[in-house]
Amino acid sequence: MAKLTILEYPDPRLRTKAQPVEAVDDSVRRLVEDLLETMYEAKGVGLAATQVNVHQRVLVTDVSADRTDPRVFVNPQIIEREGSTEAEEGCLSVPGIFDTLRARSEKIRVRALDRAGVPFELEADGLLAVCIQHEIDHLDGKLFVDYLSELKRNRIRKKLEKERRDRVPVGATPTRSPVL
Amino acid sequence: MSPAGPAQLRAGAARIVAEVVAHGRSLDELLAAEPDEGSARGLKRSLCYGTLRWHFRLAAVLDALASRPPDQLHPQLRALIEVGLYQLLSGETAPHAAVSETVSAARALGFDKAAGFVNAVLRRFQREQADLLHAVDRDLALRTSHPRWFVDALRRDRGEAAGAVLEANNAHPPLWVRVNRMRGDPDAAVAALIAAGFGATRHPLAPDALHVEPPTDVRSLPGFVDGRLSIQDAAAQLAVELLAPAPGERILDACAAPGGKTCHVLERTAGAAAVTALDVSPARIERVRENLTRLGLEAELQMADVAATSGWWDGRPFDRVLLDVPCSATGVIRRHPDIKILRRAKDIPNLARRQAELLEAAWKLVRPGGRVLYTSCSVLSAENERVVAGFLGKTHGARDLTAELTTGWPARAADAPGYQVLPGETGMDGFYYACLGKSL
Repeated sequence: MAKLTILEYPDPRLRTKAQPVEAVDDSVRRLVEDLLETMYEAKGVGLAATQVNVHQRVLVTDVSADRTDPRVFVNPQIIEREGSTEAEEGCLSVPGIFDTLRARSEKIRVRALDRAGVPFELEADGLLAVCIQHEIDHLDGKLFVDYLSELKRNRIRKKLEKERRDRVPVGATPTRSPVL
Repeated sequence: MSPAGPAQLRAGAARIVAEVVAHGRSLDELLAAEPDEGSARGLKRSLCYGTLRWHFRLAAVLDALASRPPDQLHPQLRALIEVGLYQLLSGETAPHAAVSETVSAARALGFDKAAGFVNAVLRRFQREQADLLHAVDRDLALRTSHPRWFVDALRRDRGEAAGAVLEANNAHPPLWVRVNRMRGDPDAAVAALIAAGFGATRHPLAPDALHVEPPTDVRSLPGFVDGRLSIQDAAAQLAVELLAPAPGERILDACAAPGGKTCHVLERTAGAAAVTALDVSPARIERVRENLTRLGLEAELQMADVAATSGWWDGRPFDRVLLDVPCSATGVIRRHPDIKILRRAKDIPNLARRQAELLEAAWKLVRPGGRVLYTSCSVLSAENERVVAGFLGKTHGARDLTAELTTGWPARAADAPGYQVLPGETGMDGFYYACLGKSL
């Protein structure tokens, strides 16, 4: 297992559309393990393969409070939608930014393969439904900030670019400023 | 996707506050079950503590603001509005963000239809804040956010000091640590803390107590992990000064958990006192064991009720008994603001009866010439002076030694037994001590 690097907005690779998985083999299962480890390490509730620069249709979630409910979706498809809901969203690829969207269906029915390659269907609502829709968007090259106004999106992009510039390079020791 | 943005955090805080207010759950237990870490954890905790600390005042403001009878509001919705009002009052969040995130939190809690109502209440509060607070704050109980029964009892028991106690209960509690005398002296510990960038000062009466600033996660303090420091309020540390244990003595800590005083007794006797520590709860006995292990100390642990002697006592009397009774905990409200809500007037007589029983039981276990130290973290005389006065009045051969042992402490009225510390006095929690000697 390995912890992978999460791409951050506005990295253009986040815009790649992922390809369907042809067979759930050991390499896909390894990807699933890595995604779960990376998600738990980053304290996320969901992670799509696109976010770690792997462009296959695989995503993982765990929306439980005690982090004991890992779920795996290979080639996920939403086959039914009902209602609409407003929810606050944030994204591991857009760190520190949260906004409330009215963009998600309240209840969804998802069809996917599990990590053994066995098809299953799942009805989801609440946070899990929002999370699955958020992650499937990633597989289509879409981010939650795309639902915001262009003005807001630009402000977020500038903020993140500035933060990245200001970040201390790995390994560098911050020096204490002299006392005057 | 990331969990818990600002609206989710506020929704989470409202759920916890509602559990305390509507279902009488303990804040510590609820927070211990929360999985958050880092800044999310800190913000949610401070919202819960702040809202519960000011609950009675915020509830009065809400009653004045709401167009519909507030008792018809769902407990979580009420709690959320109080969280929003608290943020507007504390000024730690920009007002527009406090309002908009509280409104989003209403939706996150499933109160979509009430989002407009939450917005209207908070905005009206912003407009009318000065007048509303002026009206609410004329009442001392509301201004200091305490239940009325407690304010009345405190005024009756503590007279003019009541106001200062009520204020002190709303202060952020200081961090006190205890220096382990077996592994270093307090001045060296002060130097180590200052070298690590903390402020550290000694207490005028409790020789092992250091006030550390700023309050911090204890695991980051130099000396905590290796057992040179423990967390303990200076008031609790004063107990050992009155118990005055000596190496070689048999000492009973009758209601020991979580074991801070048990460990302090052992540290002060260089581990050479034979300490028996009792508690009635297996989970709490486990806490005592953890504390002893961290400090490398040994005591005999028994899960037992001190009064049921046949289950645990070998019949050999103790030289000293420390009896830190279960109490209303009204002296530690600044650390546990949920006590304001959880404690009821009717609890006090029941506690007082139990405390009197425990004191009688403890008395039978001490040898002639030995002493029983009765302590509580209550500020109510019903649990303190009156329990001890009742005991002294009917117990032949029992004498209150407290006055002669506290001659160097700030003076107290001579008409009541024991010594009461009120919350905030030299930075301490509220605490009561009565040192009772058994005649030979």
